[in-house]
Amino acid sequence: MNHLILLVVLPLLSAFIIPVVAKHSLTISRLIGPVVLVFILALVVLSWNSVGSNGFAIFLGGFLPPVGIVFYIDHFSLMLSGLIAGMLLIVWPWNSYVAPRQYSLYMLLTAASFGLVLSADLFNLYVFYELLAVATYGLIARQKNPAAAVAALRYLFVSATGSAMLLLGIAIIYTLTGTLNIAHLATMTDQLHGLAGLSAFALIVIGAGVKAEMFLLNTWVPEVYSTIETPLAALLAGLISKLATVLIIRVLLMLFQQSEVLQMLLVVGVFGVISGEMVAWRAKDMLRMLSFSSIAQLGMIFIAFSIAGEVGLWIGLAMMLHHLLVKGGLFLLADKMQGSFDNLRGYAKRSAMAVAIFIIFILSLLGIPPFPGFWIKLMLILNLAEQNNTLYHYAIGFILLATVIEAAYLFKLVRYLFQDEEAATIVSTPKSLTFWYAQIFALVLLVSLAFISPISNRLKDMASQVANPDIYINTILPSHLSGGNP
Amino acid sequence: MNLLDQFFVIVAVALISIAMLRNIKVNSIVSTLWYVLMVVMLARMSSVAYNADTITSAFSIELLGFRMYWKFTALSWFFSIITVVSALASSLFMSGDWGKQYRQQGGNYGLLQLALILNVVSMLILLASGDLLSLFIGWEFVSWASFLMMVLMPSKTAKKAAVKYVIYAIVGAMALLAALAMVYASSGSLDFTQITDAFIQMTDNMKFGFVLLFFIGFAIKMGLLPFHLWQAVAYAETPGPGAAFLGAISSRMGLFTILVVIVQFIGLGNLEEMNIALPYLNMKSLLAWIAALTTIIPTYIALQQHDAKRLLAWHGVGQGGYMLLGIMMYDSIGSAGGLMHVLNHASYQAALFLTVVAVVYRTGTSDLNKLGGLVTQMPLTFLVMLIGIIGLAGLPPMNGFVSKWMVYRSLLVNGEPLLFVAAVLGTLGTILSVYKLIHNTFLGQLRVEHQQVREVPWSMMVPMLGLSVIVFITGFMPGLILPWIASIQETIGLPVVTYHLGGIEYAKGGLDMIWVSGILFYGFGVGALIFYFLGGKAKRIHQYDNYAGGHFLSSEVKYHYSNNFYPGLMHLIGNWYRGSFKWMENVIVSALSFVSKLFENMYRSRQPVMLLVLVAVVALFSIYKNYSGAGS
Repeated sequence: MNHLILLVVLPLLSAFIIPVVAKHSLTISRLIGPVVLVFILALVVLSWNSVGSNGFAIFLGGFLPPVGIVFYIDHFSLMLSGLIAGMLLIVWPWNSYVAPRQYSLYMLLTAASFGLVLSADLFNLYVFYELLAVATYGLIARQKNPAAAVAALRYLFVSATGSAMLLLGIAIIYTLTGTLNIAHLATMTDQLHGLAGLSAFALIVIGAGVKAEMFLLNTWVPEVYSTIETPLAALLAGLISKLATVLIIRVLLMLFQQSEVLQMLLVVGVFGVISGEMVAWRAKDMLRMLSFSSIAQLGMIFIAFSIAGEVGLWIGLAMMLHHLLVKGGLFLLADKMQGSFDNLRGYAKRSAMAVAIFIIFILSLLGIPPFPGFWIKLMLILNLAEQNNTLYHYAIGFILLATVIEAAYLFKLVRYLFQDEEAATIVSTPKSLTFWYAQIFALVLLVSLAFISPISNRLKDMASQVANPDIYINTILPSHLSGGNP
Repeated sequence: MNLLDQFFVIVAVALISIAMLRNIKVNSIVSTLWYVLMVVMLARMSSVAYNADTITSAFSIELLGFRMYWKFTALSWFFSIITVVSALASSLFMSGDWGKQYRQQGGNYGLLQLALILNVVSMLILLASGDLLSLFIGWEFVSWASFLMMVLMPSKTAKKAAVKYVIYAIVGAMALLAALAMVYASSGSLDFTQITDAFIQMTDNMKFGFVLLFFIGFAIKMGLLPFHLWQAVAYAETPGPGAAFLGAISSRMGLFTILVVIVQFIGLGNLEEMNIALPYLNMKSLLAWIAALTTIIPTYIALQQHDAKRLLAWHGVGQGGYMLLGIMMYDSIGSAGGLMHVLNHASYQAALFLTVVAVVYRTGTSDLNKLGGLVTQMPLTFLVMLIGIIGLAGLPPMNGFVSKWMVYRSLLVNGEPLLFVAAVLGTLGTILSVYKLIHNTFLGQLRVEHQQVREVPWSMMVPMLGLSVIVFITGFMPGLILPWIASIQETIGLPVVTYHLGGIEYAKGGLDMIWVSGILFYGFGVGALIFYFLGGKAKRIHQYDNYAGGHFLSSEVKYHYSNNFYPGLMHLIGNWYRGSFKWMENVIVSALSFVSKLFENMYRSRQPVMLLVLVAVVALFSIYKNYSGAGS
């Protein structure tokens, strides 16, 4: 099973050879990326069944933990890897005018994402997180419009500060315990639950929260998403934000499972939801609206994760997947429908299909039965209601209020789409490929409706696997099981 | 497969066939036939309505630990038959020449039929729901199906109204979802019976929240105060027969759910014990007052309208108040009156809407200031409207009188003089405005441009006449309907009414409509005898040979008094129309706008890094504070 290490190695390698190959043959350099991604996708699919319910660990360089680099693989991380590969294939810049350097950046992003999903020690997580950030700066800054350059600068400042805090947090943990292996740390959580440990956790959350679009740390989001090209926005909003969330969740589950921490997550989530929806309500153009709505959705995911135990985890996972599908689809659709609302007047006449898909997506986003979004929202709200804490009950009220605001702005846009006047200007030329992908996303959403039970069971299995630190510890540190001190 | 399963199979096949059929003519005939078949199926299930049985569908869905199932009770059957018959009338009405004209004006006829059947299907799903989750899902289906119906008109106002409706509907849905969460939190299940258990366990404050959440959810659909603003415009702006259908039954889904959740499972007795201000106001009387105000305010808004469709739609909102008012009296005749009013209102409201649509079909306008004198051109339509407005105003011998009489009687018997006055005030407004409706449309002098107008074709006339026959027959012999009402009362735990063919038996004075109508017609007969046989020679005069305000009007001077109707009354009450509810709506939007502006400024912050650092400092400081506090 050690071949899964290729997930990180291959993209990293191809990132470096693409510029070299491009000097000789542009065609080959253009093909390297997709080929690698397809190969990885196949690898993930093929190794799905061979991963047991316990997951397994890959030890790099022959060093056994807690020393050395460890990758931990279970169904959850495999699923995320598959999504990364698939999503990157979808947003892959096929256009011929793209410079090979951009392909490198994309491959770098891929490698970093895989690393982020698989790494089992904090330092590697930090490294891959930084790598991810660097690749993203590059991709944003490469956009052709000046606004994107400004947005990239803003993103760079915020993200770099966040990274510094992340590093500081990790350093504190290392000082406290002398190790960065998460499994090893999980065996000595009592040392972490002090003033210093919690401060370290706060710093880690703030650092990773920048990319996870956490409230107050997400001031870069609207600028970036509304200025970059939409497939990239779909990637960042749909996937990268989730990876940062996963980082937070991993650290939280393994090391800091305390009700106060969960409540903090809840409050942050609620603010994210409310602020995101409210500002999206004021938005006057499609991309800005979608980016603020994305902030709100991430807030909702944090709320889900703040429910202790497996329940919160599987609902959060379901929300992540749903948001990936819906928001990714909406951003892809926005490639055709971008611009201010005024430009979208009467769009339904120009492309009835696009508007139909748009409506399917927003209905699911709002949680209207029978779409998948409804079942997820229902589970979230019912489980929040079951918590013995009024804070969680208030959260229900805020979620419901936010849904009303969400409906208000989404249907305001729908009204524009169905207005009869012809559009003032012709919006960007339709790129048919992204539109096809949006259609596929919508189809997947509708088909998933028939498989709600099996999907939810799978997610529950995954959640029980992820939520149980013992599995994680025993896989990475088998010696710990026998009682020996590694 | 029991009868209910067969019924739903037929409904599903009907939906698919209407969605698939592209040929307009075939589609019209087939869809009408489907509704006929549905009526037949409901008739076969009538043991539900007569014996208070329950048919449970064999079909159920297990999902995420919930079991959703569907069943038919007397209550579901009653609402279903109204739904299907209204749909039949609307479908028949649009199947002929009206549909042709609709297509010529650029309307999508197939989509209209599809919207109609979608509305019917979703309502039937809601009406058959067997637990809270299936109820919620059916509820949402109904909301979105009516939204589809509302956006069919190309006009800007229609779209605006539809979007406003969506926001209201979502507010209602979210209130319901919160109430569902409360039920689930206390029992871990969403069965109807858990509502009762959950309610009993709650503290007093929670009980208020619980009842209000459910009530807000349902009241929004029904357009009860203060949620009445969306409905009239949205309904009036749907394509003609669609408006008739929505106006007849759609908003009554709110009443159905009130009956199931609040009356049957929470229980009116429990509401009575929830005191708000001793001893004057409890939860039940609060709801009764909301109902009473709903009869008054929308009715007087209707009085102001000069568009016939909007006038009727506003009355639809107002009449909902009578239904709830009767039910909130929690006795046999009050609730029977309220329930009967659902059917009665549906029949005359559909008939009235169809007459207005018929007038629009011939004249192209429903503006009451641009019509008049059409009685000579469209006499049968006039007759239908006359029957309809007598029903709406609640005068004998039409069915509206029966239900309203029962509500009034119940108010008096229960010692609620203030509510009684409120209800009478509502009726007064109704009478005034329906007179305005028929006068401005059919009476007075015919306009020159309408001299070529003819009666509408039979495809439109038949459903109108059929509905007016229902209005009359159920008014003449309420005993045809009352067994169904009695079964419903038995099912949902209300006192059961004693009935006979002509009306009800009641210790403090019953009602026999056969006698009432008999004496009425006898009186008319005697009058006619005197008039025709003993009076002088009758002289037929032309419509233009008329006088107004002491001036003779001839064919040279055409005059039809329609604008600024009831100036005297408006002089008295005109100042009361202040749009306070619209103002409240705007206040909410402005407040939201203000807060969101603050958030937007946060996101636009020029110093994002400083913000980040600030967050870190605050977070670390609060952790430090927490720890030093806990340590000491």
